[in-house]
Amino acid sequence: MNGLLAVILILAAISALGVVFSSKTIYSALSLVLTVALLAAVFLVLNAQFLFVVQLIVYAGAVMVLFVFIIALLDPAAEDRPRIFDLRLILGVVAVAGLCTAVFIAARNDVTYDTSCTTQAVTCMHGYTVGSLAATGDTTADPFHTFGFPENAVNRAGNVQTVANQLFHTYVLPFEITSLLLLVAAVGAVYLTRRVAVGPRRDPQAEERWRDDLVEGGD
Amino acid sequence: MLSQAMFPWLLLTAAFLFTLGALGVLIRRNPLVVFMCIELMLNAVNLALVGYSSYLNSEEGQVFAFMVIVVAAAEVVVGLGLLTRVFSIGRELDVDDLDEMKQ
Repeated sequence: MNGLLAVILILAAISALGVVFSSKTIYSALSLVLTVALLAAVFLVLNAQFLFVVQLIVYAGAVMVLFVFIIALLDPAAEDRPRIFDLRLILGVVAVAGLCTAVFIAARNDVTYDTSCTTQAVTCMHGYTVGSLAATGDTTADPFHTFGFPENAVNRAGNVQTVANQLFHTYVLPFEITSLLLLVAAVGAVYLTRRVAVGPRRDPQAEERWRDDLVEGGD
Repeated sequence: MLSQAMFPWLLLTAAFLFTLGALGVLIRRNPLVVFMCIELMLNAVNLALVGYSSYLNSEEGQVFAFMVIVVAAAEVVVGLGLLTRVFSIGRELDVDDLDEMKQ
């Protein structure tokens, strides 16, 4: 299992390099499809079956199809002048390298992994179960079996049930707020992509008017 | 369950993917590729969340990762809508060229 995970992680890192350094946009998109699919495989290895399916449907399905569709629609040209030796680029690379090094050092040395907290995490996770049982006076029942889950809930019970349990009990308000977010995004997308006034595409006059409006601050 | 030996390497991969996405946002000029690099950063965070979730036997990380996926989908919809709008009024797709808001 460890070897499989290592191979998938290495492949994901390599295909992520392709996203950033491909000169053609479509190659970047296809590399991102590969990266997303490999991360979905990582989720499967880590026993997160629900997120595996969501990742494949939402990312590799919907989002990447949208990307490829827009690439085909807009047909962006390849970047022919790389921004090398730009001061901003150098500063950015230095900042990114510093961040990367800091995270690497933290992950390797400074963070200690205490496996004894594992049982505590499970107890805290099901704390509301214990509380509700105490309220009804039924203290003999094992709280972990109230919903039919064994103690090691994430890895033994069905992953979809455990995630749904959290999603619709503890985090039901954030879950409902995401529906509002999706509604706002859908309305915004319809507003942005509606047909604009007159003139063919790539109308230089329209571009001038747009620039003038922006510079004048609207009016 | 995620083994003790693999967990740091999973975190390292997540950090690598995140910094790679940040680098792409900084050096690429095509806004489509910039969006893809943002997706890469969000995916790196998801990887770390699910890794911790598996390591600590808590499904909360998976719930957060689910929320991140929803937000990423909404962001892509609005962002690509903006790009089609920019294209339809005849602008070139170049983040260096689209700098009117700096003025």
